[in-house]
Order: sequence, then structure tokens, then C-alpha cells
Amino acid sequence: MLASPNSPFERVTELSMARNVHERRTERQLLLILLPSLALLLAFVIYPALYSVYLSFTNEALTGAAALRPRFVGIRNYARLLNDAKFWNALLVTFLFVVGSAVIGQFVLGLISAVALRRRIHFRRLFSSIILLPNAAPEVVAGFMWISMLAGGEQATLSRIVSFFGVTPADWLQVFPLSMIIIVNTWRGIATAMILLTAGLSTIPNEIYEAARMDGATPSQMFRRITLPLMMPTILLYMLISAVSTIAVFGLVYALTRGGPGGATELVSIYIYNQSFTAFQLGYGAAVAVVALLISLVLGIGYVRAMKVEV
Amino acid sequence: MKKTVIGGLCAILLSAVSTLAHAETIRIANHGQSGIDAMKSTVEKIEKKYGVTVEVVEYPAPDKDYLTKLLTELGAGNAPDLFSIPTTAAVADMVEAGYLAPVTKEIKAWDGYAKFYDVAKQLAVSPDGETYVMPFMLGIQEIYYRKDVLDKAGISTEQPKSWKELLDRAAEIKKKTGAYGLLFPAGVSWGSGAFDEGFQHLIVGSKTPQLVDADGKLDLNGEGVKDAFDVYKQLIDNDLMPTQPLLGPEPWVVPKYQMFPAGKLAATTCGSWCYIFDWGRESKNPIPDVTKVVGTWTVPGQSGGQYVLANLAAPWAINAKSANVELAKKALMEIGSVETQVSYAARIGNIPSSKDAAQNADFQKLTELVPIHAAAENGTFLKQASGFGTVAEGVARATEALLRKETDAAGAQKILVDYVKETLGDEAVK
Repeated sequence: MLASPNSPFERVTELSMARNVHERRTERQLLLILLPSLALLLAFVIYPALYSVYLSFTNEALTGAAALRPRFVGIRNYARLLNDAKFWNALLVTFLFVVGSAVIGQFVLGLISAVALRRRIHFRRLFSSIILLPNAAPEVVAGFMWISMLAGGEQATLSRIVSFFGVTPADWLQVFPLSMIIIVNTWRGIATAMILLTAGLSTIPNEIYEAARMDGATPSQMFRRITLPLMMPTILLYMLISAVSTIAVFGLVYALTRGGPGGATELVSIYIYNQSFTAFQLGYGAAVAVVALLISLVLGIGYVRAMKVEV
Repeated sequence: MKKTVIGGLCAILLSAVSTLAHAETIRIANHGQSGIDAMKSTVEKIEKKYGVTVEVVEYPAPDKDYLTKLLTELGAGNAPDLFSIPTTAAVADMVEAGYLAPVTKEIKAWDGYAKFYDVAKQLAVSPDGETYVMPFMLGIQEIYYRKDVLDKAGISTEQPKSWKELLDRAAEIKKKTGAYGLLFPAGVSWGSGAFDEGFQHLIVGSKTPQLVDADGKLDLNGEGVKDAFDVYKQLIDNDLMPTQPLLGPEPWVVPKYQMFPAGKLAATTCGSWCYIFDWGRESKNPIPDVTKVVGTWTVPGQSGGQYVLANLAAPWAINAKSANVELAKKALMEIGSVETQVSYAARIGNIPSSKDAAQNADFQKLTELVPIHAAAENGTFLKQASGFGTVAEGVARATEALLRKETDAAGAQKILVDYVKETLGDEAVK
């Protein structure tokens, strides 16, 4: 027996069908909107990454016979990597660089800046601008600017400054190369840390601080017991972003030291460049790049678990 | 609708006509402003003679970065039609990679070829017997020393006759003047210079004067290689050459552009270009009366003999995948002209490969280069082979370890051999 045209059952069915059509249309629209980004992601991120993995199993080179007739060599590049002292050196240098500049330098100074600039101090906007300025300079330009500060022995700007205070100048990039690139990268990254941590600080309600003050808490107690714990998700997020992006730093350090002297500042990114575009061994360079990618992935997964965030 | 279609058809027709009317374009890669300036009149000549447009593309210096960019573009298939190759060591590998078009027939048929020095003709022939480059300029390398510094200290300026005499002279310079006695480019930062301007000087006069055997294998385990590294070790350990600047970026700047003009470095290997580019009229820190104040020694052999080392200086080649190979070949012959050679010699200081340059009025004005040009008749060279680019990089790494006092001569040889084997495979090394 057919239901009458306006029966509740038919109305529900009509509504349900209309909703499905509407949902499908919305899904299609969303897909269309996402399509350009997906296409770019596929073309410039996914495909190159997959191609690198493929390359890492070949002996492809930029010149020589292997440029014309590359061969599949299996895991030979990875076996070579395990026995390559320069690769392990690059990993160690990168680890120290990440810990020194991102984890310690940028975070500590960024947090101090974020806390300080929340207060009503004179010239607050000026200080904010000064902290943000390093980000305005492109990496390579910043690198060359710091070369004038640090290279040239007694002629270097830093040497002239320390001489004024009675300290013996040095060839800073030769004598303290790793420390210098850590300082330069810290300088460059404080702004990002400050911005993210300021956002984190602004999520903490003032009432909690007021209550703590009424209970007689000191500023340092409030910082340790309120600010840091409540900011932990932001801090972990910052650590994730800065660690992964610092592993990939290339232009700044290459402009400064080219990975020297003697590999003292040869980050894994510079090592990949040197293998691929100086020694022209694309296959081996790709293998190192794949390993660096895996390390970044493991780091990322570790941080995400620590944040207990569902991705 | 009709108007739109007609308008579209007219636009297509117009663009087709304009394409046909537009002259063919050939792209030439050049390296450094001096090279571009030197090529200006040649480019105009090519454009006029063949009715083409020449697009000169400047590539970044230094040599290492230029070569990287060039090889990347060759690998990607979008390199220029014509380009110079910054180091002879790269030529054999580029031939093997299929990047270069052979020009044997054209060069031999060209009337300028007969006038080239034999050493230029020999250097241009690749291991497969074909010619892929126009050897229009030679880099003649010797040891350049400060006559005035030595004369003032009462040190002999006689030609050293062996490696021992050379090292003893360097030690005497250090003892009597406080200046560094002798520089051989070394280390990774110097790029191919560690091999081109240093190591190979010693190898040609050593117990194993070639690095390639009859089968085309790289002979790197010979005694000559170890002895050559030992010369570096003695210079470094006895503080006879500056080391710190060689570990930083642009390592040639402090020793060659600052120390040598200031007399704090008394001798260094260099090429004829140094009289013009490093210390002469094109220099930012010239030495006054450079030809009187700076003398030359040929590199002595290990136990005697004298060697005038010749390289091809930035030879020109044609992209094998060029859309205009035949046109590029014609342009290549124009680049080989005496006028272009003299123009380069004036701006960069390399030596024309053509004997006819000696009669050129403009070249005769380059008095610092005229005697060196004549010496090219007796030039010697290291036979090139595939893998030489890797050998050059291996030498850079081995000498870097010596600079950092991390190894001895035998250890440096091992670093070289291991690097070449790792990169090219065990079968590449004898």
C-alpha cells in the first residue's frame, strides 16, 4: 500500500535524500577547494620524496657514466652511509645545533621575550619590532651579514667590539664555528618562539594568577606552578616545529661556513648538498636525505605522542 | 561569436608570422663578468655573421657553484647551447655522461686548429679519441715568488732543482723573513683548486707522473701520490704555508689577495692569470710593478727536471641536446678566433692556445704574458680520464685532513683512494 504523498515517512525520506545530496555536494565542493593544495603537495612534496627514495637505491650521478646509465644498487648507499664517519659527524653536529639553537637558545630567549613583552614596559612596540626584524632578512642575506660580523679576524665587527673591552679578538668562525652558528640561528629564531609562546601565554586566564597572588605565591612560584604547566602543549608544539625546521636549516649556515672548517659545521642538510651537488652523487645524497626524513618523522611522532594530540 | 573566432584566428596567424620572422637564438653560458666582457665583441660578430640572437647567461662564481649549476641543468635537459667548463678535470666525466657534442670533424677542418700549440690539441682529445671542447686558452701554471722579498733577505732566487731544494728554500724564507715560504692550494673549500693548482704540479714530476694507466684505470696507489702528499705535510707541519684561511670559505682571498701582495707569503703556485687578475691591473689589491717584483719558477721534479704545467683554461663545449647544434658549432669556431683569445688574455690573463697570437698587436702589449705564451711550446700535462672530477674531490678531502693535522702522507693517500673507490666503485682504481 503506497503511503500518501505527504505522510511523515515520505517527508523523512525526502529530507534524508535532500540531506545526502546536500552532503555530497558539500563534499564535492570541499574537494574542489582542496584540490589545488593537494595537487601542489603531490607535485612538490610527495612525488619528490618518493623519487628520492627511488634514487637512494640507484647509483645515479650528475656526471660520469652513472649520469647516462644509472643502475639499481639495492641498499649499497645505505651500507656506505653506516660506515661513513662524515655522515655520523653531520648527525652529531645537527643534534648539537638543534639542541643549542632551537631547544635551548630560541626557546629560552623566546619565552623571556614573550613574558617580558606582556608587561606594560616603555617602548614595548619598539622591542617587539627589534625582535621580529631578524625574520625579515632572507637566510642567505642574514648569513652574509653575519660573516661581516664574525669573519676576518681582527677586522670583524665582533672582534672590534670585544677589543674595546680588552678581550683578544679571534677568527670566530674558525675557532668557535659551531657556537657561532648556534648563536646566529638563535638570533634568527627568537621571533618565531616569541610569537608562539605569546599565543600560549594569552590562553592562561588572569584569574588563576590573581588567585595565586592572593594565596601569597611568588612570581617564580607562579611561573613554575602555573605558567609552565599550562603552557606545556604550546611548548611541545613549539619544540616540534622548531626542531623539525632546524634540522632542515641550510642557506644560513652554508652562507656562513659552507659546513667548514673541516666539517665542524657540516649539518646533515649541508652534507646532503655536498654529496649531491659537489661530489655529484645523487643516489648517495638521496639515501642521506631519506635517513634525515626518517629521523624527522620519528622526532615528530615522539612530540605528537608527548602532546597526546590526535592527528 | 563569429567576431571572436575571426579575432582568434588572426591572433594565431600573427603569432606564427612573428615566430617565423624572429631570429634563432642561441644561449651561451658565461662565467664571471670578465669572461662576459671578453666575449662581447665575439658575440656581436656571431650575431652579425649568422643572423642569430645570442643570449649570454651569466652563471654564478666561484667555479664549484658554476659547475654544479651547469651539471644540474645538463642533467635536467635545459642547459644553454654553448658553455665554458671551469675545470679540465670535469671534461672526461661530462663526455661520459653524454652531455657534450663531439666536434672533432669541425675543429680539424677549421683553419685555426693547425695554429694551436700541440699541448692544446692533445689536452682537447678525450679518452675515447674524440674532441669535445674548443681548447682556445691555456692555463700555464708555475710557482710565483716575491723577488723583492727574497732579494732583501739575501735568499737565492735561482730555480729550485728538486722538491727538497724547494722545501729548503721555503724554510729559509720563513726563517729569514718570517713570511710563509710556499703555498700549495689545499682543502675542501678550495674546490678543484687543491688538485688543479696544487697536487697535479707535484704529480707530473714525481715517481708516478700520471694518474691513469694504459687501461684507463686510476692509478692512485703509486709512490708518487704518497710523496706528493708528503710535500704538503712538510709545508704544513713546519708552518711554511698558511693553513687557517684554507679551512674557511673563499680560502684564496687571504693568502693570494692579501698575504702575497703584503709580502707575508713569499711564493705560491698560480697561473699566468695572476699577473693580471690576482695582482695586476684587474686586481683589487695590485702589486706595483708586478712583473718586476714577482718572478716565476717552474715546478721542479722530485729528483730533478722542470715542468711547465698546462691545463685547458675554461674550454668551450656544446650541449649534446642543444636544439641548435650546427649553429652552436659555428659559434664555437668564432670563439676559438685569435681575437677572442687575446680579449680573454687581456682581461683574465690566461694564455692563447694559438701560436698566431704572438703576432697580434694587442697581445704584444700584454708584456707579462708574452714570454709565458712562448713557454707553452714546452708545456706538459696530466692525462685526463673519466673519474678525474672525483679524484679532484678526493685530493681536496685528503689535503683537508693534512691541513687539520689529522693524518700523514700515507693516510692522505688512503683517504683519496677510499673516497674514489666509494664513489666510483672498486673497479675504477688500479
